[in-house]
Amino acid sequence: MKLINYVLAISLMGLSQVTLASMKVTVNGMVCSFCAQGIEKSLLKLDETKAVMVDLKNKVVIVEAKEGKTLNEKLIKEEITDSGYDVVSIETIPQTVAQFKEQMKGKK
Amino acid sequence: MKQALFLNFLFFVMMGFVTQLSAAPLGYKNSWMVMGDFNKTYQELSANYSITANDALGVSVNAMQTEDSVSRQQIAEAVYTRKVARWNLPNAQANIWFIGGLGTTTGNTFGGSKAMASPGVQVDYETTRFYSMASARVYAAQGATSNITLVRLGASFYEVDYDQPQPWLVVEARRITFVSNQYVFTPMLRVIHNRYFVEAGASLSGQLRFNFMYNY
Repeated sequence: MKLINYVLAISLMGLSQVTLASMKVTVNGMVCSFCAQGIEKSLLKLDETKAVMVDLKNKVVIVEAKEGKTLNEKLIKEEITDSGYDVVSIETIPQTVAQFKEQMKGKK
Repeated sequence: MKQALFLNFLFFVMMGFVTQLSAAPLGYKNSWMVMGDFNKTYQELSANYSITANDALGVSVNAMQTEDSVSRQQIAEAVYTRKVARWNLPNAQANIWFIGGLGTTTGNTFGGSKAMASPGVQVDYETTRFYSMASARVYAAQGATSNITLVRLGASFYEVDYDQPQPWLVVEARRITFVSNQYVFTPMLRVIHNRYFVEAGASLSGQLRFNFMYNY
């Protein structure tokens, strides 16, 4: 039983490390996809980025890291500012871009 | 021959790649923007490259003619576009833009080619459901000065996700003094989807209109 608990605990720790791979950025000024595409393009060019999702309705951008890579909060903020927008806040979230999309679909 | 080479060069530069028809006359940093604006009395094709998040350099060719096609004028210019100010709000965006061109103009109402300067300003405010814009630009050449002023208001039919096309109804009032001192009112259907932006409509007098923007 102790062994099972130990394995479970280790697995959960591993899982949390893998899934703590995205950043949720709240951005002011995003009003249309034509204007906001610069955010997506510039963040996708970063070496550590696996996927990007722009959510116009909730004014957030989700950036998912490649496996084994770490997202650079400062760089993400710079890229979004260079695209002409203002970053309000950045937080780490446990979801991937695909999981966040599913979560948003569930809220509709 | 030289003119043909110049036009080929302009076309080549533009194919690699905006005007005052949208909220943003320049794209994101290190991107190209191509724009077109076409109806019977005014045709414009322009392109620019955003060297920073606030500045773009480009070229533009346009042609104007009166309704009866008697008077015509063409302009070819290099254009600098500057985002003078932007306000990023939680649910809206507002901008002030400067657009300035330097080039030459030809036409059948005067002889030869004249140097031309075309300073202009654009202000806009938009949300995900509402759009407003006003712009004024002077096309100044000795003995051949005209100006274009316009106001646009628009509303989107519904909000969309980032990766879905969004339809808008936009109404424009535009005056091109070379053509007429009257404002022409044109309702248009606009569709925005990531890289592209197209508008099509007809003025209240039935003149067809087509605009596009492409950013990459």
